[in-house]
Amino acid sequence: MKEAAFAFFSLFTLLTAAGVVLSRGVVYSAFNLVLSLFGLAILYLLWGASFISMIQILIYAGAIVVLFVFVVMLLNLEKPQDIAPPWIRGILTGVSVWGLCFILLRVFSRSFGEMPSVEPQKASVRMISQLLFSQYLWPFEILTVFLLALIVGIYMLARPERETPHESP
Amino acid sequence: MENLIALAVLFAVALLLCGAILAITQILGPKNPVPERLGTYECGVKPEGNPRIPFKSSFYLIAVLFLLFDVEAAFFLPWALVYRDSISAGPELLWALLVYLGLMAVGLFYILRKKILKLN
Amino acid sequence: MEAFDYILSISKVVLILVGVIQVVPIMIYVERKVAALIQDRPGPNRVGPLGLFQPIADAVKFLFKEDPIPLNTNRFLYTLAPFLSLLPACLVIAALPIADKAILFGREIYIQITDLDVSLIYILAIGSLGVYGILFGGWASNNKYSLIGSLRSASQMVSYELPLGLAVVGTVMVYGTFSLREMVLQQEGTFLGFLPNWGIFYQPLGFLVFLVASFAETNRLPFDLPETEAELVAGFHTEYGSMKFATFFMAEYMNLATMAGLMTVMYFGGWHLPWVKDSQLLEWLGSQNLLCIVQIITYIVKVAFFLFLYVLIRWTLPRFRFDQLMELSWGSLIPLGLINILLSAVIMYFTGGKV
Repeated sequence: MKEAAFAFFSLFTLLTAAGVVLSRGVVYSAFNLVLSLFGLAILYLLWGASFISMIQILIYAGAIVVLFVFVVMLLNLEKPQDIAPPWIRGILTGVSVWGLCFILLRVFSRSFGEMPSVEPQKASVRMISQLLFSQYLWPFEILTVFLLALIVGIYMLARPERETPHESP
Repeated sequence: MENLIALAVLFAVALLLCGAILAITQILGPKNPVPERLGTYECGVKPEGNPRIPFKSSFYLIAVLFLLFDVEAAFFLPWALVYRDSISAGPELLWALLVYLGLMAVGLFYILRKKILKLN
Repeated sequence: MEAFDYILSISKVVLILVGVIQVVPIMIYVERKVAALIQDRPGPNRVGPLGLFQPIADAVKFLFKEDPIPLNTNRFLYTLAPFLSLLPACLVIAALPIADKAILFGREIYIQITDLDVSLIYILAIGSLGVYGILFGGWASNNKYSLIGSLRSASQMVSYELPLGLAVVGTVMVYGTFSLREMVLQQEGTFLGFLPNWGIFYQPLGFLVFLVASFAETNRLPFDLPETEAELVAGFHTEYGSMKFATFFMAEYMNLATMAGLMTVMYFGGWHLPWVKDSQLLEWLGSQNLLCIVQIITYIVKVAFFLFLYVLIRWTLPRFRFDQLMELSWGSLIPLGLINILLSAVIMYFTGGKV
């Protein structure tokens, strides 16, 4: 039962992830991305990691993709534009896919074997919280400083111009 | 696992409801497509130009700021969960909160001072 | 799990979902009657006694209307969008604890679809998906009014999700759990000897922030910028007709019911009668099932109170301007939410865990 559900949602996540890349319209890509992230959240739920699953929906499906859709709507990117000739795009795609695979395999091969063996059912919210605010307190606080820097940085990048050509909607 | 089955059942029932709504209107509703009915409705005026007009970047800023603050707010949740039981052990978590809250307040104060959200 | 458990689970889901959907016709009737009362006109009075069958007539009319898909739209997303709003609205109900438990066929049955250990975040998370119905609906309609309406609506919904999340943090601090069921169980009895032991007395500021944010989150009138009739025809659902239009409304009213239910659970003691302990009530009534019915009625009365409050406020307050709306969220509600967390933390620290 659990295995069947797991297989189904794995397939669902992979197919919609492929849909993100293969869709012709950018909005359809965004839609597929929501489905894919939602599928991933269900996988987390099946593993017993309910907190991560909910955060996955709250942050990724509920906030990050909203940002993507906003950008699509703002820039009116209906059809993807060809920014370079096909052979350059091919080479760039190949290099980046290869690089990503390299990094991922590297990370996986290193961390196997020394994975902390926690029973999935026991990795409760409370345990995550206790670890986060004792052992990982400093990384957590440093992260906050990063977020603050991001807020300032985004303002500098996207600050509204004094005169806007379009009338405000 | 039992919880998940209940959720799955709810999801299935909700999907069924959506499908039923779609199907019933298709079956019961009349079909009489005339060009006026299938055109874009902009108060009777003929639509001019591309409806997907570009917008001010302020909307984009709101979305980005929401994302950042949502991440920050999400970190409050695990903290709040363990706070009550940690009080007897000492003030570490209170200090952690004060630092975190202070940094978040600085960010909020910054965007309010810069009047980013003034859309008009 | 046996077949019996599945049947139980399915019947529970269907009963609760159907029960919550009943909010839609009732709310439509109440809303129209209250509007009529406030604007000094009779309101619906033709169909049935006092116009009571008006919502049914409306529903039948919606079903028998033609459902055209305008030619310039993106057909797939246009058709999908109303259901993208309805689906999250149906799913969030799962986490609401309506009553404690009943004993049927020799089993304890919790009157709640599922008791996740993260049910509070579940409601916030799934609720945040409701924005896609509006975004995709407005975009797919290929209409300037729809697009502007949906962008406004989405910025509003995301801006008010933050205060909602921050207000909830205070409640989690007080009760030390994400499970709504456990929250309600902790709200039994009295506080300071003379008040009911309800969340609102621990989190008055949090409740205020939550209440205001919940209005905006459900796009109700003081905050119904997405559908300002005078400016945007009907906002994101300008191009929608027939049952698709009604589906957006169903989703809105169901979200309203969820928000009212969540407020009842977090701030008004859920299924508990004020001052009375469940054990005393059980002794007096003599049966767990009878107690369960009393609890369900208590819960429904409390939710109905909040729904009525929503209606009253909708017809008494004028609409905000868009920049005022953003200012209210980022300039007042989010800082208030942070102050609430700070105050609760400090007070809890000095009283040693009990607020």
